Amino acid sequence: MEQYLEYALYIGSVLGALALAVMLPRQSGGIRFLGPMLGAATLGGLWLFLSNGGLWADRDPGMSSASFIYYYLFSAIAIVSAVRVITHTRPVYAALWFVMVVLASAGLFLVLSAQFMAFAVVIIYGGAILVTYMFVLMLASQSTPDGGSSQGYDKVAKEPVLACAAGFLLLAVLLSVIFDYHRLDAARAQVDPAMTDAALIESTLGNRPLQAVKTYEYNDAGEAVEVAGVTQPNNLDPTRLANAERVGLDLFLSHPLGLELAGVILLVSLIGAIVIAKTKVPDEHLAVSG
Amino acid sequence: MPLTTMDSLTLSHFLLTGAVLFCLGLIGFITRRNLIIMFLCTEMMFQGVAVSLVAFSRYHLNDTGQTFVIFVLTIAAAEAALALGLVVLLFRRKRTLDALAWSQLQG
Amino acid sequence: MSIELIKLIPWIPLLGAALCGVCCMKPAWRKAAGPISALSIFIPFLITCGVYSAASGLTGAEKVQTVYSWIGVGGFQVNMGYFVDRLTMVMLFVVTGIGSLIATYAMGYMKGERGYARFFMGVSLFIFAMTTLVMADNLVLLYLGWEGVGLCSYLLIGYYYEKPEAVAAAKKAFIVNRIGDLGFALGIFLTYKTYGSVSLAEVTTEAAKRLTEGFDPTAADLWIPFLLMLGAFGKSAQIPLYVWLPDAMAGPTPVSALVHAATMVTAGVYMIARLIPVFQLSPAALPTVATIGGVTALLSGTIALCQYDLKKVFAYSTVSQLGYMFLGVGALSTFGGVFHLFTHAFFKALLFLTAGSVMHALAGQLDLRAMSGLRHKMPVTCWLMFVGCLALAGFPLTAGFFSKDTILAAAMTQGTGPHGSTLFLFLALMGLFTAFLTAFYTFRLWFRVFMGPEHFEMGDEHHGDDHGDAHGHGHDDHGHSGGHAHEPHEMPWWPMNAPLAALAIGAVLAGLVFGGWMERSIEGSTAKPVAVAHVESHAAAAPAYQIITVENAAEGHGTEAGAEHAAADSHDDEHHREHTIHIVMMFVSSIIALVGIALAAYFHWLNRPLTDKIATKFAAVVEVLYNKYYVDEFYDMVIVKPLRGFGHLFYLFDQFIINGLVMTVGHIPRLAGWVVRPTQSGKMQGYGLGMVLGVAVVALLVFRWAF
Repeated sequence: MEQYLEYALYIGSVLGALALAVMLPRQSGGIRFLGPMLGAATLGGLWLFLSNGGLWADRDPGMSSASFIYYYLFSAIAIVSAVRVITHTRPVYAALWFVMVVLASAGLFLVLSAQFMAFAVVIIYGGAILVTYMFVLMLASQSTPDGGSSQGYDKVAKEPVLACAAGFLLLAVLLSVIFDYHRLDAARAQVDPAMTDAALIESTLGNRPLQAVKTYEYNDAGEAVEVAGVTQPNNLDPTRLANAERVGLDLFLSHPLGLELAGVILLVSLIGAIVIAKTKVPDEHLAVSG
Repeated sequence: MPLTTMDSLTLSHFLLTGAVLFCLGLIGFITRRNLIIMFLCTEMMFQGVAVSLVAFSRYHLNDTGQTFVIFVLTIAAAEAALALGLVVLLFRRKRTLDALAWSQLQG
Repeated sequence: MSIELIKLIPWIPLLGAALCGVCCMKPAWRKAAGPISALSIFIPFLITCGVYSAASGLTGAEKVQTVYSWIGVGGFQVNMGYFVDRLTMVMLFVVTGIGSLIATYAMGYMKGERGYARFFMGVSLFIFAMTTLVMADNLVLLYLGWEGVGLCSYLLIGYYYEKPEAVAAAKKAFIVNRIGDLGFALGIFLTYKTYGSVSLAEVTTEAAKRLTEGFDPTAADLWIPFLLMLGAFGKSAQIPLYVWLPDAMAGPTPVSALVHAATMVTAGVYMIARLIPVFQLSPAALPTVATIGGVTALLSGTIALCQYDLKKVFAYSTVSQLGYMFLGVGALSTFGGVFHLFTHAFFKALLFLTAGSVMHALAGQLDLRAMSGLRHKMPVTCWLMFVGCLALAGFPLTAGFFSKDTILAAAMTQGTGPHGSTLFLFLALMGLFTAFLTAFYTFRLWFRVFMGPEHFEMGDEHHGDDHGDAHGHGHDDHGHSGGHAHEPHEMPWWPMNAPLAALAIGAVLAGLVFGGWMERSIEGSTAKPVAVAHVESHAAAAPAYQIITVENAAEGHGTEAGAEHAAADSHDDEHHREHTIHIVMMFVSSIIALVGIALAAYFHWLNRPLTDKIATKFAAVVEVLYNKYYVDEFYDMVIVKPLRGFGHLFYLFDQFIINGLVMTVGHIPRLAGWVVRPTQSGKMQGYGLGMVLGVAVVALLVFRWAF
């Protein structure tokens, strides 16, 4: 089956593009109902192909069938929600569907045992950012004459066919790269196993902090004096650390500059947002209508 | 560890999901005319990238992928603040969120 | 006084010009410009007087006073240096002496004018350029002065730049001078190529050497004089380039007197006198100069007969007198030419300035028909102008009488005798007839203006005039233009009539008193038996006919000694003959002048109706003369119109061919823009779509096809 994978992906891309093109809001909604059906069929077909295609015939016997199921579940939710985000004509609902996307991807993070990221995206995206979006949406919708429910300009998608074609062309290219096992295997074969990322991380992260840690105590004069002969327990073994601890160590040990820059960017955007919010602009709408 | 397996799932599965999210966000950005939804779609593209990054992180057992997601979140937050501020500004000016209302740069 | 002081002469007027420029800045300072300018011309005059004795004693290389090295390129060396000999001193006396008198007069004349300081800046700058011109020790520096006076002339003619005719006249003067100056420049280039130097001393010495040693004239020798001549004709307003001078009268009257009568226009005469050995190298050159001079004198004399504009009459008279000077130098009488230049400066400046006084008194009125019998209103001006007219007419014992007689005698000498040429005889007769015309038109003007029944019409132009109440309304043109009675009045003595009186004294006595001195200064007339080898390199080289005489004699006797002897003999005869001619010419020209004056008195004072009757009868002739033989119209048709046509043709070429090419190049990006413009919809989604497609294609290329 493996040799048909490529074609399956391409066919899936084409069908998905068709489905999405049909689903996108248009002037005459006659065939719109076909979209979800086609989309579901495509996605289902692809899933079946991927799960039963024997691609992992050699898979680990001790595999977790639970994660297998969770992957397909969250993936499907994420993709369907994403489709709804871009096809829903009412902005508030689109935003709510986006929450679903965030939640589903958080689920995927959990499957990938990145617990910290899962909670972080739910809190930051699903909480803070989405609330801001909703707030602005409500603010804008409120002051439109028709109450915001039927914003005429967003009733009809712009160039749906072309957009779908371009988007799924890109997707097809990406997928063809993602599933090109031959190439990846060949590339991997050329690399020294000891030099894999995982091996490197094990060696560096596992050893580095131990030599760096020293214990100090204050003497009577208030000076910090190194306490000799005291070593930290080797509790930084990456295999024994929680996900959040490891991310924190990586963030602060490997990316201090990025961290500082992120802080500066946040500060700048804070100030920028305040300045923008306080800027006075002429109301052309009033000028025209009045 | 065989390349094509990761527990019961391969890296490719997650990358697939990430790519689909990314492309859907892209298509949404192009087809929607509501400025806020357009920004929402860019956030969706971030989500796709985030999924890919975490998948790589897991695959390589390298936490830097997750660290990058933190940075992505940071940038997304900053972008949301500024972009929404600008959207409000534009809205105040023309009383509409239609992106096509701002096409003075037409050639 | 140290001879070194002479180096200061050009720079003092330049400093004066700069100070006048500073005076332009503030209205309160402007009044200072007149005295500054007059002083900056008068001080050089004092220096000229002071160093005269020292300067005239200079010999050989001492004559070149170098200030600094101006241009040095390889072997080409031009110094800011002054050539000081007696010809230079004579010219300096004229320029600074007459210049300071006229500047003093202008202080009163220009009072209350707008641009008072600007005017004096122009005058000072002019004197700087003119002194540089007459003092230059090389042709390049001479050319600098030459162009400098041209520029100042342009600026001063265009002084009333609000008046279209003044602007047109300024442009005309400038452009016509360009034609002449082109010839002059080419002449200088050719001189440098031929003689390897532009130094006046070296060039004239070399030319004189060639003359005495006998030479085979090269093409360059034959051409250089004609090219230089073109420059002289342009600057000194001779046929065919004289047309600018009458129009130049649109400038203020002191400018007409200073630039366009006394000094600048005589630069051509000075230049030919200075370079006469070079001119002698080409056998046809000096006869051409004389012919052009004679014809110009006659033609402009006839034109002057029928002009009604006071200043135009004097302008044509100037052209005519310049023609005399060219006739003089053409007849190898550099003394005659320069002498006439000297005396003419006095009486023509006087005439112009008195004409300016009349014009001033009558509020800009210049038409002869609109004035009559003004002698009671302006007695001083009347008699000052009378003196000037006498001198111009060549009344016996006045300045003009002596100088004009010298020229006529020189021409006659050339025209008679064993080697006399018919050409010069003819020119001398023409000169005599012109002398008659001169006397007639001069006194026609004077009788018309000052004699007969009193009658005048005021002009419509106000020079901000009036010395009594100039402070009251300054240059307010409407101050007294409202038609209220404004009587002509006499000019005040200071600063106007006093300089005129000085000029009048000069006009009467310059010939009598300075004649001998001039003759010595210009180192002898053509009659003097100066052996050519001993000729000083400046003004007076040996006349060509002397060479011819020597050669003829040598042919006759066959030996050097015999040649010398014969030359001496023939020279004695020559001297005697010339003396006779001189005496005869004096009587003849006296009679002619008196007849002219008498006829003028009859026709224009005693019996004006008869004149009018004659004028009506010969209306066609009067019309032709009044319209200056339609020369301007002819030039317009033959030169200006075709040039304009060419210009239009080039304009079209430029517009369609050149511009077309350029515009095509410009249109290509525009076309490309027009093609891709639809892609720039200004809509974010459009750009997004483009980007996606681009990324997809690049990804496709990189990931699928590149591996």
